[in-house]
Amino acid sequence: MNYSVMDIVIILIAMVIAFVVCSKVLKSTEISMAIAGVVAVIFTAAHGWTNEPVKIIVEGLFTNLDLAMTFFFATLFINIYSSSGAMTAVTRSVVSHVNNKWLLLALMAVLMIIPGAISGAGSVSVFVLGGIVYSIVRFMGLSDKKASAFVFVFAIMGAAAPPVNLWTMLMTAQANMPYVGFELLLIIPIVIAGAFTIIYLGWGSKRTPKEEILATMPETDAKLQGVGGLVRILLPLVALIVMFVLTLVIPFSFPVLGLPLMFVICAVIAIICNPKKMSVKDYYKILTGTMDQAFSLIATVLSIGIMQNAMAASGVKGLIGTAFVLLPFIWIYILILIVGPFAQGAMSYGSAIVIGTPLIFMFNTAGMNTTVVVAAMSLMFPIGDCLPPSRIVGRVTLETTGYEGSYMSFLKQIFLPCLVLGLLALLMLVKPAWFAFLA
Amino acid sequence: MTLTEAIIHYTYFIMAAVMGLLLLRNFFKREKKLGLVYDIVYIYCVIPFLLRVLYIK
Repeated sequence: MNYSVMDIVIILIAMVIAFVVCSKVLKSTEISMAIAGVVAVIFTAAHGWTNEPVKIIVEGLFTNLDLAMTFFFATLFINIYSSSGAMTAVTRSVVSHVNNKWLLLALMAVLMIIPGAISGAGSVSVFVLGGIVYSIVRFMGLSDKKASAFVFVFAIMGAAAPPVNLWTMLMTAQANMPYVGFELLLIIPIVIAGAFTIIYLGWGSKRTPKEEILATMPETDAKLQGVGGLVRILLPLVALIVMFVLTLVIPFSFPVLGLPLMFVICAVIAIICNPKKMSVKDYYKILTGTMDQAFSLIATVLSIGIMQNAMAASGVKGLIGTAFVLLPFIWIYILILIVGPFAQGAMSYGSAIVIGTPLIFMFNTAGMNTTVVVAAMSLMFPIGDCLPPSRIVGRVTLETTGYEGSYMSFLKQIFLPCLVLGLLALLMLVKPAWFAFLA
Repeated sequence: MTLTEAIIHYTYFIMAAVMGLLLLRNFFKREKKLGLVYDIVYIYCVIPFLLRVLYIK
């Protein structure tokens, strides 16, 4: 087969044109991504690089199938959990007991980070705690835009935080490096950027008086009060955390459940703990409502899968990776904060493999500390979870919080916290020796 | 452990079937995102679930 760089560049341009035109004409990001993928596959077949173009498209639909299932069942769990009134009870309890705004914001930030840190996915943080955290930080006087930004920023920090950082895991696996020594390298920049985010978003906001907040919230069910109520509220969440932790602590003795099944188990526990009498019809309504709610996300991740597979088959994925890593060091430093997050937006975790791994080898040949380099890049990629074409965590956040402003206004709000995180990571990348003692 | 893994394996087939059926239901009976474009999106989104349930992939 005769591959030429120019042919691949033409395919890339055709994909971009197809995506932009379809987005304008069809007004659907999902189908635009799928069409961009189909265009790449058509070009690939026309060049004679594949005999099975349909197989590439259908296999692409399976690339992110597990992610689609996670999104659906996580949303289902949260909808069932909320229907019991547990969310309201938690919010009422936190608002009643904690009076200091900054303490509460810090507490919410830590809470948001935990599910992402354990599962490795920022969207899980948003699904599990995004709704509760959003309501509580809104009561702390943050506008809807700032509260949505709060949820998003700490969700991506959760994804980047140890013990599970998927970008680091993918890069270390490919570069034959041990997944050891990343804890402090990842936590310290997250703590600094997190503190900045809390101050930046919380500055100038005035907490609504406790009585006013409680008056606007529905009363807690009598069965959700006291010790019995606490068990009903906490059991589904605790079960989720226990399953996460057991998977990490005893991986060889604990069955591989996978995130979708974990959420199904928690949904069953939430049904058992629900003090309200709900019929099968009520749960069926929740089920169909969840599909309505999660459909655009499911369609997005499946469409991205088609695009990712088409990019791999056509050579576009490799072209982007090699074009970037062949640049001189100075240009890599200048462009990494743009290329890294945008690669994440286009290729999701594939960004770590396409761009991250070749860079590890490059920095290694220059005698730099690769552990610091990997940690630095692992802090940059999650920023792209709000960028097109996928914008997965960004979209999940806005759908969870119900933010009605434009997506651009949301991006402007998260820009500064993301920039601080990105600059800290860039400093680590430029001067890895300064941070080697943390490895 | 093998039995547990088999149970998990088949549970995922059931979960995929549930999602596939819900997508099919929404394809015929939905209130939001009407129109031909989303008909197409719904149909290609059903494909992986259908193939999984039919044990083809």
